[in-house]
Amino acid sequence: MATVESKTPILQMRHISKRFDTTQALDDVSLDLYPGEIHALMGENGAGKSTLIKIMTGVYHPDEGDILLDGKPIRVGNSVEAQAYGIAAIYQEPMIFPDLNVAENIFITHRVRGAVVNWNKMFREAEDILAQLGVKLDVRVPSRGLTLAARQTVEIAKAISLKVRVLIMDEPTSSLSAHEVTQLFSLARRLRDQGVSVLFISHRMEEVFEVADRVTIFRDGKRISTKPRAEVTPEGAIRDMVGRKIEEFFAKSQTQRSDLLISVRGLGKENVFSDINFEVYRGEVLGFAGLVGSRRTDVGLALFGIEPADSGEIVYQGKLARIRSPEQALQLGIAYATEDRLRVGLTMPMSIATNITLPMLRKYLSALGLVKRSAEEATAEQFRQRLSIRTPSVYTPVSQLSGGNQQKVMLSKWLNTRPQVLILDEPTRGIDVGAKAEVHHIINDLAAQGLGIILISSDMPEIMAMSDRILVMREGKQMGIFSRAEASQEKVLTAAMGQSSEPKGRA
Amino acid sequence: METIKRYFRPEQLREFSLVFLIVAIFMFFGSQIQGYFSPRIFNRVTSDVAIITVVAIGETLVLLTRNYDLSVGSIVGFTAFFVGKQLSFHPDMLPLFALLLAIGTGALMGLVNGLIISYGRVPSLIATLGMLAIYRSMLVAYPGNKIVVTSDFPKWVLDLGSASLFSVGGFDIRPVVVVALLILVIFQLVTAYLPYGRRLYAIGSNPEAARVGGLPAQRIVLFAYMLCGTLAGLGGFMFMVRYGDLNTAVAQGMELQAIAAAVVGGVSTNGGIGTMIGTVLGAFMINLLQQSLLRWLRISNFWVDAFLGLLILVAVTIDAVILGRLRDIWARTGLETRPGGEKGPVEKEEIHAA
Repeated sequence: MATVESKTPILQMRHISKRFDTTQALDDVSLDLYPGEIHALMGENGAGKSTLIKIMTGVYHPDEGDILLDGKPIRVGNSVEAQAYGIAAIYQEPMIFPDLNVAENIFITHRVRGAVVNWNKMFREAEDILAQLGVKLDVRVPSRGLTLAARQTVEIAKAISLKVRVLIMDEPTSSLSAHEVTQLFSLARRLRDQGVSVLFISHRMEEVFEVADRVTIFRDGKRISTKPRAEVTPEGAIRDMVGRKIEEFFAKSQTQRSDLLISVRGLGKENVFSDINFEVYRGEVLGFAGLVGSRRTDVGLALFGIEPADSGEIVYQGKLARIRSPEQALQLGIAYATEDRLRVGLTMPMSIATNITLPMLRKYLSALGLVKRSAEEATAEQFRQRLSIRTPSVYTPVSQLSGGNQQKVMLSKWLNTRPQVLILDEPTRGIDVGAKAEVHHIINDLAAQGLGIILISSDMPEIMAMSDRILVMREGKQMGIFSRAEASQEKVLTAAMGQSSEPKGRA
Repeated sequence: METIKRYFRPEQLREFSLVFLIVAIFMFFGSQIQGYFSPRIFNRVTSDVAIITVVAIGETLVLLTRNYDLSVGSIVGFTAFFVGKQLSFHPDMLPLFALLLAIGTGALMGLVNGLIISYGRVPSLIATLGMLAIYRSMLVAYPGNKIVVTSDFPKWVLDLGSASLFSVGGFDIRPVVVVALLILVIFQLVTAYLPYGRRLYAIGSNPEAARVGGLPAQRIVLFAYMLCGTLAGLGGFMFMVRYGDLNTAVAQGMELQAIAAAVVGGVSTNGGIGTMIGTVLGAFMINLLQQSLLRWLRISNFWVDAFLGLLILVAVTIDAVILGRLRDIWARTGLETRPGGEKGPVEKEEIHAA
């Protein structure tokens, strides 16, 4: 988009500042969005991206600065007003109404047109919009059970029906499969070609380079740079984001692999995964690679007894183990840190200390059967130092911590069960670059202390850098195990996507 | 199969099975009880169902938004008693005015509920539990003696209660039944075809999305409570007309009957799912069972309640297990894309949620 500069911007953010208590979330930030561009916004968590979006959509109001639409100052009071100005946002988790059908979801927030809902007309118009997007979706089905990608499409269709001019996509790809990301990007390009300004937020460098026309980088509430994509390099972007030059990925140090900890033979679960075979040794990190839908997490859930397997065997430290519940897994010495910190990983309103001791609470009881606060505090303090959790106190509610620190609390919680085998499911998803490196250091230390670690991750460079061996799965099947020496990103990705380049659906 | 899935929903299956069950109940008790198909039982059941129907339809509006209204029993009781008292003091009051008084009183009480819940942000269960007690106390504290008897009423009230618009061989169609059918038709249309009705479903389906997406959720919920109160007021008027003898305990527990009717009829207490027809079928089935079991004389009154409790649990369990499964089957859909332009061939691609 070399012609971008010659057009006039749709939306201009001028010298925006916003302060929450002691945090300067945005500090004199300006940003111009032009028609017909895909503008990527990057920055660590807490850099101010979300605050800016929320100001654009009227959720927050700026302390200082102006918002200009077509050169005229506007006041965006709430999300309804934002919609009226043609500003809409799509989030990681689309906001849909599961009991309404697709067409209703597209039109429900429209101003009432006519007294009675004309269902046939509504279905027709919804189909038209979806066709305009080059997508086919049955507009009569309830939205419950639509895939994430399909739900995002419904939201995009809704935005279009509201005559969107600025479409904000806030990390829309983080839970999509590679193929769905491609679909989403072609949608974004189509909108751009129709003159919409797309603001795209992502942590994934390769996606930004694939789709963006211009790239803006935020750090600590300030805009650091805005450049055409051609002038941006990954190293430069990371440098701008963190403000210092760091190695992008920390690599696991070689450790001596010693005793066999766990050996899995022919593990299967009907309609989920089948014939999974692997070993984990002490001091080893076994990476689980695969695309979304590869069922890696389900293998982890089976090992931890949440969704037990129904065929095959697990041999743990030489003995056949039947794992039917998480209690049994914990007793054996297997712990599982979930990918979903918010919903199931941590008890958000409770303090760091109570979260850490929760699975082992019976160890913290006094003779009377009451919880000993002093013992709890001692454990929490110990982990706070060991994993350098940054918090004012161990009694701070975990909801007030950053993503990276929440991840450390969850790690502490499971390490406190003294596991031999630790399953980490997406341990660095959604946390910033600095915290990510810290988590990698922790994984490295744990392996060095003799734990066997299963690392499930969608972050390919992370898997490559951290694993001693990599097990690749595709749609519930094991595609192979690569040693560190023989693994390359291409090999792993080829295995994860299957032999043929033709994408196949699960019938 | 795809065509079936397009035009036929699991909810409709629920309604068909209710109709089937009602017929089965008829057949069973018809073979067990002498004179079961007599006009007397029919008249009694339809008149009772008519009142609970009107109240349950209001309750359903509120349930659809993922809220409760526990105060409807007290609203029915208060309006019946209050309007009954007024009529006994002013026997020459116009019938239409008495009706409007009942509806207006109900609407006002519903408005108070709605304001507390949608603008005061008090959880609906707590707010209406409080109002249940308050509205009932207002009735108990009402000055004067605590009963209204048939002889206090002007003649038209009593006539209206036993009048028959038309009758076929002793099977009477009473005015209250016609009113209930009218309300059913109106609100079935409102929920299926008016933007307001669809927004009730939207809010109950995902309140957060409704807020973020810019629906005036507070106003919509407030109005739902007002409608619920209005219908409860109408229910109070119908109650007064039907029974004549009123004391301070009238319509106690009706809120639970209304919720039970809705739940048996397939309305989800998590909001967003259910139809008015379902609610009415639920009300009809519960009342029919109740009357039939009492007449059967094989089980005591005490067990009738236990049996109905069991029925509600079974209904909710079926909803959670079977209908949930069906909905998943119905709703599994991926995207199809046309690569390279609008006119390109459709590449069929099914991508399921992981």
